Amino acid sequence: MVDALRESHRVLKSDGLLIDLRPVAVQRRVGLTDDGAYRLRWRMPESFDDDRAADAAVAHVVRDGLFKPAGRERFQCYRLFDYLDDFIAWLIERDKIKTHGWLVRKLERELTKAETGAKIVVRSPLVLSVLKKLAGPAAG
Amino acid sequence: MPLIVDPEQNEVKALADVMLWRRKSVLEIGCGSGRLSRRIAALGAIVHAIDPDPKLVRKARSGLPKRFANRINFRAGKAEKLHHRNEKFDVVIFAWSL
Repeated sequence: MVDALRESHRVLKSDGLLIDLRPVAVQRRVGLTDDGAYRLRWRMPESFDDDRAADAAVAHVVRDGLFKPAGRERFQCYRLFDYLDDFIAWLIERDKIKTHGWLVRKLERELTKAETGAKIVVRSPLVLSVLKKLAGPAAG
Repeated sequence: MPLIVDPEQNEVKALADVMLWRRKSVLEIGCGSGRLSRRIAALGAIVHAIDPDPKLVRKARSGLPKRFANRINFRAGKAEKLHHRNEKFDVVIFAWSL
């Protein structure tokens, strides 16, 4: 990750910005919606090792004088799935289907009781961090 | 996959708060199927988008609306070895990829 950030520094103009957009390291909430209201009932247990590694990489290049923090904004991001199969495909893409079978079964039960057209909703807060390019230690 | 990501457009609002994007040269790293690339281009930027997965790059290209054809360029590539000259971009974005 540090190598990628160094490459970014190389291709950025002297006053350029690096934007790091990713989920906040908190558990996603999952539920249903059928009337515009999101009823989030379950949490997805997740590992945040990758987030900690990314934070460490950013801290590394800031310490090296390549970038300085220039802003940070946190906001909510929702994903709406029309069908349970879509949600299952999303879990499979993320290699989470084995650990989240319980969640699929709970959603399946809830969907049978819900209104026709109910969607599955996943809430994941995101954080957008802005870093400003500095000349770096080589330029003094 | 019938999926809507960020129906409230909070992501776009947060990006729009950062700067005026019109005519800015942007490198997006980890573009996937190009969802965010299209949103950034819609803000007025010229987007060079890369992803290490050639399948996703092909998907992004095939799903690109004509109105973005001159505004987004998708390529397979890795963040650790960029094939771009020094000091080319105004902005580099890591989108879920750091």
